[in-house]
Formats: sequence, structure tokens, C-alpha cells
Amino acid sequence: MIRIEQLSKKFRGRAALHQVSFEVQRGEIFGLLGHNGAGKSTTFGILLGQVFPDHGEAFIDGISVQQHRAKALRRVGAIFETPGFYDYLSGWENLEIFAAYSGHVPRSELEAAVHTVGLQGRIHDPVRAYSHGMRQRLALAQALVPSPQAVLLDEPTEGLDPQGIHEMRELIRQLNRDRGLTVMLSSHLLSEVQQLCDRVAILHQGRLMFEGRWTDLGGTSPRYRLEVDDWARAVACGAHIVAAPDVIELGSDEDIAELVRRMVEAGIKVRAVEPVRPTLESLYLEAIRGRDESKSYPAAATANS
Amino acid sequence: MGSLFFLQLKGELRKLFARKRTYIGFGAFLVLEVAILALFQIPKVRRAFPGRMIERLGGAFEEYFSGQTLALIVLLVTFLLTMLYLALVGGDVVAKEVEDGTMRMTLCRPISRVRLLLVKYAACVIYTFALIYWVAATALIMGYLKEGNGGLFVMAPEQNIFAMYPPREGYIRYASSLSFLALSSLSITTAAFVCSCFNMKPAAATIVSLSYFMVDWIFFHLPYFESIKEWFLTGNMTTWSNIFRPHIPWDQMVADYAYLLGINATLLVIGIVAFSTRDFKS
Repeated sequence: MIRIEQLSKKFRGRAALHQVSFEVQRGEIFGLLGHNGAGKSTTFGILLGQVFPDHGEAFIDGISVQQHRAKALRRVGAIFETPGFYDYLSGWENLEIFAAYSGHVPRSELEAAVHTVGLQGRIHDPVRAYSHGMRQRLALAQALVPSPQAVLLDEPTEGLDPQGIHEMRELIRQLNRDRGLTVMLSSHLLSEVQQLCDRVAILHQGRLMFEGRWTDLGGTSPRYRLEVDDWARAVACGAHIVAAPDVIELGSDEDIAELVRRMVEAGIKVRAVEPVRPTLESLYLEAIRGRDESKSYPAAATANS
Repeated sequence: MGSLFFLQLKGELRKLFARKRTYIGFGAFLVLEVAILALFQIPKVRRAFPGRMIERLGGAFEEYFSGQTLALIVLLVTFLLTMLYLALVGGDVVAKEVEDGTMRMTLCRPISRVRLLLVKYAACVIYTFALIYWVAATALIMGYLKEGNGGLFVMAPEQNIFAMYPPREGYIRYASSLSFLALSSLSITTAAFVCSCFNMKPAAATIVSLSYFMVDWIFFHLPYFESIKEWFLTGNMTTWSNIFRPHIPWDQMVADYAYLLGINATLLVIGIVAFSTRDFKS
């Protein structure tokens, strides 16, 4: 549904993106991750025809954004981290004005979008009276008209309270499930991305570091949290600590039962063994740290290709 | 296609005319008009009115110190403020939207940047005409309420225009001059609009365009540039006052407006090119 090919962009001589390529499948929820300045917003900008790439091309539903911007954008809606509205107008008037730039949108379609985001009770209030969460909902409503096939959400939960974050997450899920919308989102809240996204891409310093299922990010080696009375002897028995003080990782040919048996035979008191499920956050930070340490950029790993 | 353009234009006009600032501006003109008319109550000011010239031209002071004469004076006196206000609005139209983030929201839509600018410019043109008509209509109404009906006396020494018209012809000339005045004023709206298409703050767009017109006006009045006077925009902009000459020099007016429209079109193309090649990023 969304494909970018070899995108490069420099701002004042500084590379914001360098030969970035990835693809978002139809109907999936895809996360774009990266630190501030990693190139996420530039990628969104290029996909929406707001930023001109120095090299490469972006496609929406097979249509080049750079060559047929208007045709490509008929298929997407978008919201930004801090959506701009005409604060002195009502939410409804804002919707009408933005929708008019897509063509003649029937009133019923606007009403449906308002209903979807749950703003029907306040839609005729001036936007300046809206809370941040309501503004985000209004932004989502305008992205939903007229009937996009995909939505690009740049930091949709930024600045929302926990309740707002939960509601936005459920809304995104609902849109994906009920309407089959393809969703591409960026967020600094990795727990949100973890809960929502099927696959992710990680940008680091303008380069694609990873694309695939986030669970593949840390490899396949199982990890366990151990509770032992003597770590020095446990290490000597083969326990490989990967996250201080107590998380170990097994080699591909190792077995936790075998390691525990060796430690018990060596007189170590093993009080607990608990499998550790990696989080996106831990894997992401580890990957970024590893990349910063190596400072080399081979072709991006593509876990599902 | 055409109806979609009007739908989008309606949205732009709604944005312009729903702002409180718009009405504060319109209200400010009203206050200024009242102030000017009130000043004409002062005997010293009233005496300064060139009654003798009217009499030399064969008229009576009482007949020509009328509502429409006062309205024209108000129109001329408020002209500078009108220019300033048009530069403020023109400078806001694009740059303020970029600053507020609404431009990025709009550019997510399948509308070309050229079309978007043309819609916004059309709204600016309508706004310019609306403001001029508003100032002129309110000035005429208030002038009428104060001095009643009467002939129109026109005195524009710089353009060498001294004329008197009976009430009916005066009203016709006054009304006809407004569209030409708006057309002249469009130059400053266009300049501010074009500046706002570049990567600059709304205030900067207003200041740059006003500075340009100020420099142009100074050059126009410098004797060194007498031989190239027709090049300066401010000189061409005063051509609207030709409507008040007994014999209207239409060929001169057509030439002047062709020049102004040519400059406006060129500036607009420059603005469109600058806007169309810009990156928009938070």
C-alpha cells in the first residue's frame, strides 16, 4: 500500500534521510520508530508531497507521490503531532474547509467521521475550546474524509493523557479492524507501538536500521531472569549475563534445564528461573545502542524478507 | 471543476471573514472616518476648505461642501491606512497558515499548490474590493448624515485635478472610482501575498511589502527619476483618480492598469514558483 524506494534528503547539507526503502502492506499497522531527528517526519513529509526528496520516490497504492501527488493523496489521510486548526472556527467548519480541498464531500461522510471519533457533542464548538485530546480526535476525523485507504499518523498520541492514549489506540485499532485501513504511525511511546503494530521500521540518523516484526529485532536467543546465591560461579558455569544484574541469554544450542543442572551440581543455590519476554523498548534501545557502538551501516536488516 | 473552486473559495472567505481581526479592522476605519468628520466641525478646519476655489470655478461653498465631497476626502485620507491593512492581510494569508500548521494540514489534501494559491489569491482580491467598498460606503453614509446631499468637489493638486460635479454625476464618478481604487490597491495586497509565499514570518511579509511601496513612493517623488516616473508602481496606482477629470483619459488608465496587472501577474508567478518548490516540515 505504501512503498518508499531509496529516499534521500538533505537539509542544509545535513542528511535527513539516506537511501531509505521500506514497504507497508495493505491492511497492516506499521510503526516508524526513531529518535528525534532520525528522519521520521521527513519520511512522512515526502509521503505527503510536502518535502521534495533529493533522490528516490514514494508510492501510495502504486502511485508515485512525486509524479502524481494529487492522485496519490486521494488515497490517504494524515495527522501530525501538533495539528493546526482555525481556532476561531468550529470543529465542523474546520472539517468542511479541509474536506473541500479533497473535492465535494457529502455531509453524511463528515458526520460519519465525527461520529467515529466521538466528537458529535462538541463538533459545533470553537476549536479554541477543545482540549488537546479533542484536537487530536478532530485531526483524525479530518484524516478520515473522504474515505482514505491508508492513514499516516505522525505522533498521534503526543501530549495525550493516559486515558486519551488508550482511546486513540482503540480508535486506531477499530479503524484498522472495521474499515481495513492501512495505518502507518510514528510514536515515541514504544509500548503503544508494541501493542498496535504488526511490523516496524527503525530509522537512525537518517538510515534504515531495521524493518520487520519487532519481535525479530533482538534475534531469537531466549532470555531468562535468574536468582542465584553466587553469580561468579554461575558465570563460570556458562551463564551469559546480557542485562545487569540478572538477565542471561542462552546460546542457540544451549538449554536452560542443562544450565540449571550444571549450576546445581556446582553447589550454586538456584532460587528462581523466569523467562524474560523482551519489550519493543528494550529491543529498540539495545539495537540503537549496538548501532551507535559499531557506527557502521551495512544494508538494513529486513527480518521478513 | 468550477463549482469546486467556488467551494474552496468559500472556505477561504469564511476563514478571512470569520476572524475577529477582520471586523476590528473594519471598525477601526469607521472610527477613523468619524474622527475625520468630527475634525471638520472645527471652524478653523472648515475654513481651510478651499471655498474660494469653488467660487472661482463658479460654484457655491454650501453646495459643494457636501456628504460626497467629505466622503472623498475621507477616502483619500484613509488610503494609507487601507494600504497598511491590506498589506497585513495579504502578508498573513499564506505565512500565518504555515506558522500555525494549518498549511501542512491543507497540503495533505489532493490539491495542487498552484491551485491552492490561486484560491487564496482570489479570496485576497475579494477582500481588497470588500474593504475599499466598505470604507467608501461608510464614508459616504456618514458624510451624507453630516453634510447632506450636494455636489462633488475634487481637488488633487499632485494629479492636477480640480473639478466640480453636480450631485448625480458626482455620485456616479464616486461609485465608478471605487473599482479602480480597489484595482490599484490590489498591487499592495499582491505584493504582501507574494512575500508570504516565501519562507518568512507574516509580519516580515507585511514589512517587506510596505517597505517596497515606501521606497517606490520616495523614488517616484525624487526629481532625478522624473524621466522614468511611469515605472513606479505608486505613480501608476494613482491613476484611479483620473475618473474625476472632466475628460477621463481612458487610454492612459488602460496603459497604467495594464502595467499594474502585468507586475501583479509577474509577482504572483514568482510567489507560486517559490511556494511550489518549498519543503514544508515542522
